[in-house]
Amino acid sequence: MDVFNLIFSFLYQFGDAFAFLVLSACGLAVIFGMMGVINLAHGEFIMCGAYVSTSAAQAGLPLALAIVAGAVAAGIAGMVVELLVIRPLYQRPLDTIVATWGISMIVTQGTLIVLGPSMQGVGTPFGSFAMGGYSYSAYRVLLMAAAVGTLGLLWLMFTRTRFGLLSRATIQVPHVAEAMGVNTNLIYSLTFGLGAALAGLAGGLYAPTMTLVPTMGASFMVEAFVTVVVGGADIFLGTAPAAVVLGVIKAALTGWQGQLAGQIGLLIAVIVVIRILPRGISGKILKERA
Amino acid sequence: MAEQSRLRRALRLIEGPQTIGRGPKFWIGFALVLAAACIYPILADSYDVGNNVYFFNWLFMAMGLSLIWGYGGSLSFGQTAFFGIAGYCYGVLTINLGGAYGMTLLSLLLAVGLSALFAAVLGYFMFFGRINGVFLGIVSLSVTLVLERFMAQTAGPQWAIGSARLNGFNGMGGMPSLTIPWPGGDIVLFPGLPLYYLTLALLVTVYLALRMLVNSRFGNVLVAIRENPLRAEMLGYDIRKFQLAGFVIGSALAGLSGVLYTSWGNYITPASMGMTAAALPIVWVAVGGRSDLTTTLIGSLAVLIVFQMLTIHGSQYALVVMGVLLVITVLAAPRGIVMGVVAVAGRLTRRKEGR
Amino acid sequence: MLKRSKSAVSALGLLLLAGTAFAQDAEPIRLGVLEDQSGDFALATIGKVHAIRLAAEEINAAGGIDGRPLELVEYDTQSDNTRYQEFMRRVLQRDKVDAVFAGFSSASREAYRPIVNQFDGLAFYNNQYEGGVCDANMIVTGAVPEQQFSTLLPYMIEKYGPNVYTIAADYNFGQISAEWVRNIVAENGGSMVGEEFIPLGVSQFSQTIQNIQGAKPDFVVTLLVGTAQSSYYEQAGAANLNLPMASSVNVGQGYEHRRFTPPSLKDMYATVNYVEEIDSPASKAFVEKFRAKFPDEPYINQEASNSYAAVYLYKQLVERAKSTGLGDIRKVIAAGDVCVDAPGGQMCIDPKSQHVSHTIHLAHVTGDHSIEFPAKWDAIKPYWLGEAGCDLTESDPSAQYTPSNPPPAKG
Repeated sequence: MDVFNLIFSFLYQFGDAFAFLVLSACGLAVIFGMMGVINLAHGEFIMCGAYVSTSAAQAGLPLALAIVAGAVAAGIAGMVVELLVIRPLYQRPLDTIVATWGISMIVTQGTLIVLGPSMQGVGTPFGSFAMGGYSYSAYRVLLMAAAVGTLGLLWLMFTRTRFGLLSRATIQVPHVAEAMGVNTNLIYSLTFGLGAALAGLAGGLYAPTMTLVPTMGASFMVEAFVTVVVGGADIFLGTAPAAVVLGVIKAALTGWQGQLAGQIGLLIAVIVVIRILPRGISGKILKERA
Repeated sequence: MAEQSRLRRALRLIEGPQTIGRGPKFWIGFALVLAAACIYPILADSYDVGNNVYFFNWLFMAMGLSLIWGYGGSLSFGQTAFFGIAGYCYGVLTINLGGAYGMTLLSLLLAVGLSALFAAVLGYFMFFGRINGVFLGIVSLSVTLVLERFMAQTAGPQWAIGSARLNGFNGMGGMPSLTIPWPGGDIVLFPGLPLYYLTLALLVTVYLALRMLVNSRFGNVLVAIRENPLRAEMLGYDIRKFQLAGFVIGSALAGLSGVLYTSWGNYITPASMGMTAAALPIVWVAVGGRSDLTTTLIGSLAVLIVFQMLTIHGSQYALVVMGVLLVITVLAAPRGIVMGVVAVAGRLTRRKEGR
Repeated sequence: MLKRSKSAVSALGLLLLAGTAFAQDAEPIRLGVLEDQSGDFALATIGKVHAIRLAAEEINAAGGIDGRPLELVEYDTQSDNTRYQEFMRRVLQRDKVDAVFAGFSSASREAYRPIVNQFDGLAFYNNQYEGGVCDANMIVTGAVPEQQFSTLLPYMIEKYGPNVYTIAADYNFGQISAEWVRNIVAENGGSMVGEEFIPLGVSQFSQTIQNIQGAKPDFVVTLLVGTAQSSYYEQAGAANLNLPMASSVNVGQGYEHRRFTPPSLKDMYATVNYVEEIDSPASKAFVEKFRAKFPDEPYINQEASNSYAAVYLYKQLVERAKSTGLGDIRKVIAAGDVCVDAPGGQMCIDPKSQHVSHTIHLAHVTGDHSIEFPAKWDAIKPYWLGEAGCDLTESDPSAQYTPSNPPPAKG
């Protein structure tokens, strides 16, 4: 029994870390991994989703719908940002750093001025369950399911739907796509909006478990970036396996030596992995395929 | 004889294809600006002098990043790591060795040297491991974050090197400022006139030396690597060595910034190596104009001054205005503010001169 | 939103009007205010700025300090240590203020202290912190560990049991406070069953919650700092941890009981020198005045109360010293009887350490997140620095000490 409890608790902690990495990262994987835009405002899309979903839930919407509302709001915000700021910068990826940093400052401070330093949260639903003498939060298991589900839905979208096909084509070979009659501007807009919506989804999902302050996005940024970069350009061949590897390392170190070891271990793992696989995990896999 | 012509050849590199500004007009302008900078502290009050030294301290890191990123094409997101290492080394060394007999100057050299050594190790790891592009940025960012996280928890008494306690998140203070040994009595360089002139002299020296460096064969190769690494390799250059050298020099400059900052405020903290601090040099350099030393210098100084002015007079809207400025600059002036202004000025004068 | 800037404008306007009511030759007394009005710490510090403005307005309406109007010189330090350095230099060298109210995090205080010493200025640090600053240029109105833990921990051990688990932010404040907890728990017959240090900025606590359950403590001492770390309460509640908690830093500073849904902070006990729920006439009057001027204020925390009282403290010092010079003010402090009635109770300056004594209230957060006060201790002195060997009436080491790094023994 004790071994079973040990395994369960490790799986739970791993799943928790994995879910956090995946949900933080998939929006950025679309925007950065696919489109090459270094989005330092990723945390602010997360915050947007968190704030909107919490407000919607407080206004009476059931939590699931509220989270969707948060994701949609972040997606729309993303499309606006793309139109105004990002579109001129596709050929200049490094300039997106400054532009998105600027947007991050505007949004964070603007939220502080307009909505005040914090927002009251809605509680975490679904209570807890007990296993082997420990009590665990049930909602966090839901988050793990959401992470896997999101990956699954994204895979379906990008490989099975027309939009997914057009999106990948436009990003990989934009001139060919345009020559074939694809409205590339619209595709860029929608893809960026999708990335922002995924960030908003992460924000909405984690909002019931966290403090709601304008700077809350910062808690997700480092994990998101390292997961995306370690993963490489492809979401499914890269971000998902990266989240698995980094999640195992983080959970193991945190369980063994504490939170500091987990954090530093994660960063060192990033350095080591990139040194071994300079194109990230998906780069290695794609190279082997070709 | 041969030595004189070598020196003359080196000096001639102050002008070249990799730096804007040549000919008598530019250098007269340069001399005027330098003269104004020298006279300024006599006319301004002591607060402004100290404040300007504070700005100058950051410019070394900006120029170093310009070398690594603007000329070399390697986006290093972790220059603050070397800033912090040098700052802490200076603190540890001077607290242990004291400030007399020119020890602080020795500590300055040692601290910059140590951060350059660390840069060499990290650079070897990265460039000889064929890491480049955005991966380089992430690895260097991870390094500076690891240092920040690690240093932030060194609050306990066991974390001490000699008699210098690292003191964790609260930061290390109490180190003596840079002191010049003088027969009549050591000159302690508090933020004031002597420190101003010393920093200005360092700034001008570094600027001119970098100009010579980037216009030399080394600089040309560095730019070639930025433009097309594969072609540079096929032409026979070991690009890893050049990238490493550029990285070490740029990072040593970041270390110099770190020592000067620590001496200026008698204080260094892990927050100087954190995420926000790491992004700032990138923002200054990108907005100022990263591909040229002169635009970096002027642009970074301008951004620093404007941001401080906004914070002082803008109350809570300061950060919003800063963000808007950044976005507009990137969209309207792709090669940086300074080049944008120069371009606009150029267009105006051409229009004036008539068709 | 706009109300905030409108109230700021109206505050300034009132100050100006009040200023013109003074005699033409009354030179204003200038008070620098360096607080984080944006960035990570703004949550806990915006109230401080408002409290200072409220106090200044009241003092000016009543005739100022010794007939001289009080003028505020405010800077937003953006939760950034380098801004503290820049603006402390500016406020002392260019604006030439007579005193500065500055700082929230200990790092910011340590960043600006060398500058205050260089210019021999006077700075007030109105925040609770880890204790130990022995510096003649500082007056500290914040509570210190011996005031908060020597009252809290014996109560908790008696009520809930001897086994204690500490989770603390992994930096100076958290580590030193944890050290205090360890010592006081041992002195009171308790035992530490676990201690965990969490780096700042961490917001995910599943492993920590599991560890706490494994150690089976009677209560948990939470010394969490920063908005990210306070997510712990929500997550512990969701996992149904259901243990009483004790804290010196949460609730009183970041008003977690208002931001998180019940019952995540149920049975949290915090020792504070002020929270807005305190029922005394002085407290009620203070809250009423505050809300009249700042109706949108989310919470009036202990730092706001300290800042408000500190302005009056400074007024008393200047009026008794008949000057704003640091030397004259310190002579008044040395008399040992400088006291002011803060909204939470009386505050008196201890001449040896230049910290203040406090009335400590035990705040108990109930299941619906209302607060009751089962205990109160009057006039708890900041005794540790004096006992450890810091005596500012004799010498000024301008240093910060900790229990494991006390002042050097006198030879």
